[in-house]
Amino acid sequence: MPSTQNTQDNLYRDAAAAYGAALGRMARAWESDPDARQDLLQEMHLALWRSFSSFDGRCSLRTWVYRVAHNAAASYVQRIRRGKTTTLVSLEEVEASGESTSFAALPEADYSVEHAQILERLYVLIQKLNPLDRQVILLYLEGIDAASIGEVTGISSSYVATKIHRIKAILSDRFHKGGNHE
Amino acid sequence: MSNDRSPDDLRTVWQCQPSETISIPVEELRRASHKLTRRVFWRNTREYLAACVVVVGYGSFFFEFQTWLLRLGSALTVAGVLWIVFQLHKRGSAAPMAKEMDAQNCLDFHRAELVRQRDLHATVWKWYLLPFVPGMSLFLLGQLQTTLSRPGASARQGAIELGFAAVAGFCAVVFAVVGKLNRGKARKLQERIDALDALKGPSL
Repeated sequence: MPSTQNTQDNLYRDAAAAYGAALGRMARAWESDPDARQDLLQEMHLALWRSFSSFDGRCSLRTWVYRVAHNAAASYVQRIRRGKTTTLVSLEEVEASGESTSFAALPEADYSVEHAQILERLYVLIQKLNPLDRQVILLYLEGIDAASIGEVTGISSSYVATKIHRIKAILSDRFHKGGNHE
Repeated sequence: MSNDRSPDDLRTVWQCQPSETISIPVEELRRASHKLTRRVFWRNTREYLAACVVVVGYGSFFFEFQTWLLRLGSALTVAGVLWIVFQLHKRGSAAPMAKEMDAQNCLDFHRAELVRQRDLHATVWKWYLLPFVPGMSLFLLGQLQTTLSRPGASARQGAIELGFAAVAGFCAVVFAVVGKLNRGKARKLQERIDALDALKGPSL
């Protein structure tokens, strides 16, 4: 057993080093409260470490990490949200709602403020989405290609392509810069 | 960044944001895993203890009641409650971080949870309502028998029987409403399952 345990530990260390930052972003997208987010992040790491006892290499480490992290986050949020009535929506519903977000133009020096503003709005948008669409947009923002998004989520490639198309439309529509058109 | 933010710009902003990263030593994870196992053990123990309290509570009626109908009614109620507790334990709560589900793709993971919930609602008659019926029926009949055996009750027999029929009817209506509400929930869950299945694309 020690060699299995070593493999499990090493896989976890590799995954935490390579995807630790992505897991942090994912946790923030699932939980806005900072204290609860720490608990969620710990649960994601624990789920990841436990899962590596059965990692068989049939999918890539990245796919495995994103699947486990998503499932742990979805379970966690389901437990926390039990009894709460907030309705989560799909990308299609968000697109149909047609809300848009304009930003006042900021001077060049305030880029960090501007980025914080963008991120805040992105998180608000993501937290409205149902778990599956949330995962698709998160993977898209992480720069994961469509085929890999399909592998992580189990959604067929044609639907992933449609969803990415919607995500791009929503992002273009909602994050245009207002008041600075010269 | 240009005036118009493209989705690619947003991806860059997203990936460059400062992120909360934690590094948990594996020994700590091992301890946390043991703690989780212990927590599940104690949760199960609490459920069994709660079932024992119910058995002792209802069981005491068995000795208090004089007629065999009431005794049998209370015994069947205890059996019904035990059956419900067993079913709830078996399929009632979402298994937190079940190992075999850890690395399922997200769609299958959500589907499995929805199927679990749908089955729970769709079979509510079998595991939640029907187990109460024999015990409650015998209990009501026993109460009716006891009431009618009291002195002077025969003069009001019709009214007493009507009263018990009303109680039985009320229970039946409550059961029917609970069953119908659960069937509705099961149908809605099935719609969500169908929507997820559609995302898998055409099966080969």
